[in-house]
Amino acid sequence: MIEFDEPTPRRPFETMVPLINVVFLLLIFFLLAGTMQPGEDVDVTLPSGQVDDRDTQQPLTIIVEKDGFVWLGKSVVDPALSGYRIGDYIKTSNAVAVAIKSDAQAPAESVLRLMEELRKAGVKQVTILTEPAG
Amino acid sequence: MFEEPIRKRNLFSLTPLIDVVFQLLIFFMLTTSFLQSQTLTVVTPAESKTQLPEDSRVVEIWLMGNGSMKVAGKPTSPETLSDDLKQAVGTRKDITVTILAENGSKTQALIQAIEAARGSGAASVGTARVEKLER
Repeated sequence: MIEFDEPTPRRPFETMVPLINVVFLLLIFFLLAGTMQPGEDVDVTLPSGQVDDRDTQQPLTIIVEKDGFVWLGKSVVDPALSGYRIGDYIKTSNAVAVAIKSDAQAPAESVLRLMEELRKAGVKQVTILTEPAG
Repeated sequence: MFEEPIRKRNLFSLTPLIDVVFQLLIFFMLTTSFLQSQTLTVVTPAESKTQLPEDSRVVEIWLMGNGSMKVAGKPTSPETLSDDLKQAVGTRKDITVTILAENGSKTQALIQAIEAARGSGAASVGTARVEKLER
């Protein structure tokens, strides 16, 4: 009797299953670990600080650029010239808490001026965003 | 002639699934941010220096326009600011720390001063901006 060699089953070149496992793992990691934030057009380097008040509420954010100009939503104002615009912006958005996202190299004068206007507009709580030092 | 053996097809093809999963992966990689920011609650500043109290219970931090700092008139640096301020405040409980920012001083210095004032044990912290500090 003639015996034929059993045809060895051809394995796929590389099995895809481990790849899919890893990709799924990465996907779930990014889903869980990341936070999605709306993108901002302004490039701001936050000042570094040690104190964290863990204020988790998401108040209205006002950005102070490196050159001292203030972003109220989509418009840019110079706080030295148009304090009333800041007051106006606060009134229309009905905010009682405001977070200031200021560049580390922004003039302190701009930030302080902005804070003065915020107080005049009736804002109760002002927080400044910093990033952990080190 | 023998018939070709019919190949058993997979139940479903994995390729479209992998395509979609890769798309999702790239989307989440690009849109997520891991930047953690912290918050620092601050007292809103006085309108001018004249509204701040001025007596023996006040310790002033001067933020000069050239980037240097002074605590109670003595020059200090960002590294030693906290210790110098603690020394100036001492053990008294009724001290007010006043931060005066000259034109030209930076936000980073202001943050450092506010944090140092918070850690010094002072009863209250005030801030104001001034055009020019007398040297």
